[in-house]
Amino acid sequence: MSRKLVIDPVTRIEGHGKVTVNLDDDGNVVDARLHVVEFRGFEKFVQGHPFWEAPMLMQRICGICFVSHHLCGAKVLDDMIGVGAEGEIGLTRTAEKIRRLGHYAQMLQSHATAYFYLVVPEMMFGMDAAPEQRNLLGLIEADPALMRRVIMLRKWGQEVIKTVFGRRMHGINSVPGGVDKNLTRAECDRLLNGEEGLPSIDEIIDYAQDGLRLFHDFHEKHRSAVDDFAHVPALNMSLVDAEGNVDYYHGMLRIIDENKRTVGEFDYHDYLDHFSEAVEEWSYMKFPFLKHLGREKGSVRVGPLARMNVTNSLSTPLAQEALERFHAYTGGIPNNMTLHTNWARTIEVLHAAELIEVLLRDPDLQKQDLIVTPAPGAWVGEGVGVVEAPRGTLLHHYRAGAEGDITFANLIVATTHNNQVLNRTVRSVAEDYLVGRGEITEAMMNAIEVGIRAYDPCLSCATHAYGQMPLVVTVYDPAGNVLNERVRS
Amino acid sequence: MNLDAFDDDSCLIYGIGNVGRQDDGLGWAFVDWLQAEDICSNAELRRNYQLLLEDAELISTKRRVLFVDATQDEAVTSFTLERAAPKMDFTFTSHAISIPAVMATCRQCFERLPEVHVLAIRGFEFELELGLTPAAQRNLDDATAHLSQGFSSTKVL
Repeated sequence: MSRKLVIDPVTRIEGHGKVTVNLDDDGNVVDARLHVVEFRGFEKFVQGHPFWEAPMLMQRICGICFVSHHLCGAKVLDDMIGVGAEGEIGLTRTAEKIRRLGHYAQMLQSHATAYFYLVVPEMMFGMDAAPEQRNLLGLIEADPALMRRVIMLRKWGQEVIKTVFGRRMHGINSVPGGVDKNLTRAECDRLLNGEEGLPSIDEIIDYAQDGLRLFHDFHEKHRSAVDDFAHVPALNMSLVDAEGNVDYYHGMLRIIDENKRTVGEFDYHDYLDHFSEAVEEWSYMKFPFLKHLGREKGSVRVGPLARMNVTNSLSTPLAQEALERFHAYTGGIPNNMTLHTNWARTIEVLHAAELIEVLLRDPDLQKQDLIVTPAPGAWVGEGVGVVEAPRGTLLHHYRAGAEGDITFANLIVATTHNNQVLNRTVRSVAEDYLVGRGEITEAMMNAIEVGIRAYDPCLSCATHAYGQMPLVVTVYDPAGNVLNERVRS
Repeated sequence: MNLDAFDDDSCLIYGIGNVGRQDDGLGWAFVDWLQAEDICSNAELRRNYQLLLEDAELISTKRRVLFVDATQDEAVTSFTLERAAPKMDFTFTSHAISIPAVMATCRQCFERLPEVHVLAIRGFEFELELGLTPAAQRNLDDATAHLSQGFSSTKVL
């Protein structure tokens, strides 16, 4: 008789997921799936709203990566009014830099949450530790000085967001064709120099390096455990600039294979020519794939690991130094070690901090040319926006009628892009931990969670979730007989 | 205790909730009432959807804190006002953390702990809709009447 292990919900992941692992009579894994059973429907209920409301509505999908949704929506609106041109940003330098500043702050504080709050407890206490210790509050008790620095790092990132968007959550600054507020010199200096209760940029860059130091220390002591955990080959995708380096805000979409050969590069406005989305009856989350490679071979990985695999270099000195060490570890070929996603994430925290410093020192932020007004008749009524959100490539696509009301919306969030790779990761971990072992331990269950958590999946974003739908889980044996059934209402 | 105890700049009054979910907006409605009536104008007033870990740092800078939140506890007929104590519990997600856990984090990481009170006002409906239910509004009125008794600032209540 086959057995089925159900982990529900997967803890410390935004939204809720369900993992099922099917075992055969001998205890071998025959299938492993991450089920996403929440339904959200943002693409539907935005329809009929004025197009200019979309960036405000869509950012309500999430309380963590709201800036990414806001900016992605704003890029769509630039297209719709005829300001954003294919391959070009079309904004004033000041507007673009202000949007980028908010975006990098989002990258810093979101990654700091994922890494320090959710991943570091696992590293510090080990996967075998008791759940009541292996969490953020356990970390606070164990190392309050570190956590104080982390809290201040997050707070500083939120202050940058608040300075740009007016609020620390769900603020508004981007408007069609630009932004509605610049930054004063005093605002920039406050963030650069700090004040009582607010760190300076020098301290922030030091705190950002805590993440790298922690990873390297842990990696040094547990090299095989980190490196051998869920080795999942995949294509990697990221926005890149003209030099092939990651650009978190704009660029071409580049996909590379396991040898770092480019297997696809295109303007994201043409995504429908290149991507298709498959559906499975057991999940509300779709499975995007590159058409020319097909459903199995054409799925991509996005996010920190993919970006660090795709990029040739990083634009700031400390992040570049960290990237060189990262690339050297695999001899320059893409890194498929799932837990190295956390390494990549810490590099991006540092990169974001350095990028923010560059922008805060830029006098363009004080200039007044904030909005590009479209020429008469420039209205296009359709647009596509893509940004590299903390979790990976985020795409919004809207159409509006002549009156400006939205008639169509499509979102592909990072977790959706990662769907196939997430399932491969679950299977890889399940095979390593479950095969040949008679007992299902807490450590085994947690290993599956660790594999998923590396992607920092936001499952409620990915299914666009309003509460939890009732769910019936049915277990079949190899002959198709129902072995078990579980109902959640 | 009345609101005099919170009317200086070392105090924080923090409304928790979501005004888009009916009675979950009670915490914000209490802060709205303070501002409308010009009560506790010397205190720092905040509204947020939920507590975050960074709030540990925020309360570390205060002498006295009042958290105001909706409760679904059926044992609460109208409202309760209680002193809170720090405790590391396991309710944390990156989206929310409990008041006792924020206090424990404050003490552990910042080596300070303000005096914290929690005003919990009974709510009844939490669906996607603006506005308090009449029953929740009555409970809010009970709470504001109780806390403003003897309030000595310039505004006449």
